[in-house]
Amino acid sequence: MSARPLLRRVAARLATSILVAWGSVTTAFVALHALPGKIEDILAGDLEYPGLREAIAAEWGLDRSLPEQYVDFVARIASCDFGVSYVLRQPVVEIVGSQVWPTVQLAAAAGALALVLAVLAATLTAGRGPLARGVASTVELVCASAPVFWIGILLLMAFSFTLRWFPVSGAQNWKSLVLPAVALALPTAGLLAQVLREAMEKTLEQPFIVTARARGLGETLIRVRHVLRHAALPAVTLGGWMIGGLLGGAVITEKVFGRPGLGAVTLNAVLTHDVPVVLAVVLLAAFIHVAASTLLDVVYLAIDPRLRAQ
Amino acid sequence: MIAHRHLRRAAGGSFLALALAAPGAVFAEQPKPGGSLTFGVTTEPACFNPQRSEQQNSFIVIRNFVDSLVAKNADGRFLPWLATSWTISPDGKTYDFKLRDDVTFHDGEKFDAEALKFNFDFIKEPANTNAAGQLLLAYEKSEVLSPTELRVTLKRPDSALLEAFSSIRLGILSPKALKSGDRLCSGGPALAGTGPFVFQSYTRGQSVQLKRNEAYRWAPGYAAHQGPAYLDTATIRFLPEYSVRAGALSSDQVDVIEGVQPIDVALFKGQPGFQFLVGPSGAQTSFTFNINYTIPPADDVRVRRALRDGGDIAGLVQGVYLGTVRRAWSNIGPENPFYNKALEGSWGNDPKKANAILDEAGWTGRDAEGFRIKDGKRLTIEVGYPQPFVRDNRDVLIQGLQAQLRKNLGFDLKLRIITAGEWAQQREKATWTIYPNTFLPADAAQELQSNIGEQGFIRAAAAKGDKELFRLINAALAATDVEEKKQLVDAAQKRAVDEAFIVPLFSANYQLAAKDTVRGLSFEAQLDSPSSLHDVWLASR
Repeated sequence: MSARPLLRRVAARLATSILVAWGSVTTAFVALHALPGKIEDILAGDLEYPGLREAIAAEWGLDRSLPEQYVDFVARIASCDFGVSYVLRQPVVEIVGSQVWPTVQLAAAAGALALVLAVLAATLTAGRGPLARGVASTVELVCASAPVFWIGILLLMAFSFTLRWFPVSGAQNWKSLVLPAVALALPTAGLLAQVLREAMEKTLEQPFIVTARARGLGETLIRVRHVLRHAALPAVTLGGWMIGGLLGGAVITEKVFGRPGLGAVTLNAVLTHDVPVVLAVVLLAAFIHVAASTLLDVVYLAIDPRLRAQ
Repeated sequence: MIAHRHLRRAAGGSFLALALAAPGAVFAEQPKPGGSLTFGVTTEPACFNPQRSEQQNSFIVIRNFVDSLVAKNADGRFLPWLATSWTISPDGKTYDFKLRDDVTFHDGEKFDAEALKFNFDFIKEPANTNAAGQLLLAYEKSEVLSPTELRVTLKRPDSALLEAFSSIRLGILSPKALKSGDRLCSGGPALAGTGPFVFQSYTRGQSVQLKRNEAYRWAPGYAAHQGPAYLDTATIRFLPEYSVRAGALSSDQVDVIEGVQPIDVALFKGQPGFQFLVGPSGAQTSFTFNINYTIPPADDVRVRRALRDGGDIAGLVQGVYLGTVRRAWSNIGPENPFYNKALEGSWGNDPKKANAILDEAGWTGRDAEGFRIKDGKRLTIEVGYPQPFVRDNRDVLIQGLQAQLRKNLGFDLKLRIITAGEWAQQREKATWTIYPNTFLPADAAQELQSNIGEQGFIRAAAAKGDKELFRLINAALAATDVEEKKQLVDAAQKRAVDEAFIVPLFSANYQLAAKDTVRGLSFEAQLDSPSSLHDVWLASR
């Protein structure tokens, strides 16, 4: 297969994602204007003092027509200008920018941990006896359905309050990352393991596995080299969902553990009605989703020859 | 008994809580300087600049590095702080302040009349968009008479002015810092006050680091000691989750926490190794239903009284808060020197009478759901509760009252959570029906004005408002004599409750739980919230 159709497909996918991103910006604009109350009041949050509303109206150009405001809004977002948070008195980009790193650390650690746990659980238990599978899938079900919040509190009670192995809060060192990462990883790991095992069990029944066995390959090698690779596709599909889950979960995890990060910023912004920050976080989340799903689609094309052949 | 001695020592000092678990042999000890303390708090301030912040919980942090011109004592008197003395002209429009001459800001700048004038003029200027501008509505100008003398002139007498000057919201910052621009909200050493601690650093989402101000010699008149703070350093950690704060204290990871949920109180109260302190309910108003009495059916005093007396508020408050807060009798807090104590027991929990007056008012029919009707219309009033202010189970309390009024009277009290924008709109047009609120710490007359006065929530329909109530509140604000003011504020509270313009529900308070080795914790009368850590020291176990 030549590279050109592949490039064309990637380009088409990118175009679609730009369209989706534009859609989310438009939705944010519409939502802002559809809320009851005046825009100045909404953007000011709980604050009320002389001069503020006038300053906001001037900065957002609220005296202009809606289409003009819309064009300006899209242009500003496109140039990465999310305005100023009136509650925090800082440009939104700075606030969000300064908090991205702790969240990335947390999400990456949790994502990696979830992946390792899920692969281990699935590889060890797929197609095994009913006891092992029963136990594993029950644990996974509990993990996948338990709220991050609750897992976080349980972990704190056990490993911080009682055993005192880990600190309750902060982001000072690796120790303070352990509990939040585990809390955030467990639900994702639970779901991922279930999907992975089901895919592996289906794969184990495929004729090529029988062939591999007939060639005399050991069970471990079969599982790791053939089955896992084959079963990875549905799990990769879940990757996009995982990123959303990790981002959403980070909000709660950061609150429970008193960790800095985007989640804490979002929560505080929602509580103090700091709409410019909320808007920026919502859009950022939308862009991350779009970027992730675009990337995954390209990865599919790369790893599954059947898709390229279409 | 020990608690009593504690209180007596603090008489004329900051409000020392009713210490419930003070350990023995406290008083043989001398306060010991040194050490560091970690304080777990509920709320991460959105803005650390006192002149801009409107978040009550932010002041717990800010008080450590910001001082005020005068200090408010628990008994309501004003004591020296950055001002050593002051005189007020007979017409109540000119205040002459004498200032300390030994005060420096954390950035090395000197505090003098010029710096003070700069602060007030800066706050007053609308272009600087400072929230504290609200407290200086009567302020006209300041004149520097000498480096240690400032004359403040008002447009009209304002009996709330000293209260405003004692408020942290008019806390004094270095003019150099104020000129530096908008970044003061994010704290750090640039936010230079004159307080007992220097703001060393801030990690968003995590903590604030404070370091002792070695030069500090100007503690407020109510402080338990003069001179620098005892602690070398303090860390304030943001732990928004109730159970996490409690767990962090019981596992020795923090020394003090603020905000203890009712079911966790037993972990610390009376437990060995811990102490539990309850703050006053005086500076903030009590959590109160404000009723818009210009809109039917609440324009009928009988409907309002039925709403006021139809439920068992004391029982509901006990059920929700397990004895950690008291039911309210007035919107002014019970520890406020201007609280009208005579209102206690004067109203409430009389469903029989409430039913009788509703019958008398013509609400005699019943619809299919059992609610009272008149002329085919159901007896219903909506409580519009803005979402940002919904907290500590207040919505649950309202739902409890809702259930009781339905059962006892057939009164349909609706609860709707609204947005802040919708509330602003309702207020602008006076279309709100019941607004539940707690007001930021302020002077009692000012609180009445901002809530139920001519300038209050009913502002847009003030022409249809209660003239007598407005007259009392306006007169109280202009009163230059404390006794006269007290009588007027008392009368206004009585009228508001008698006419059921308000239904007070409960008086919130701050609570501290701490290790028993932490000494000198107290609450600030002007705020109700924990004082600065200036008097706090650590005893060896």
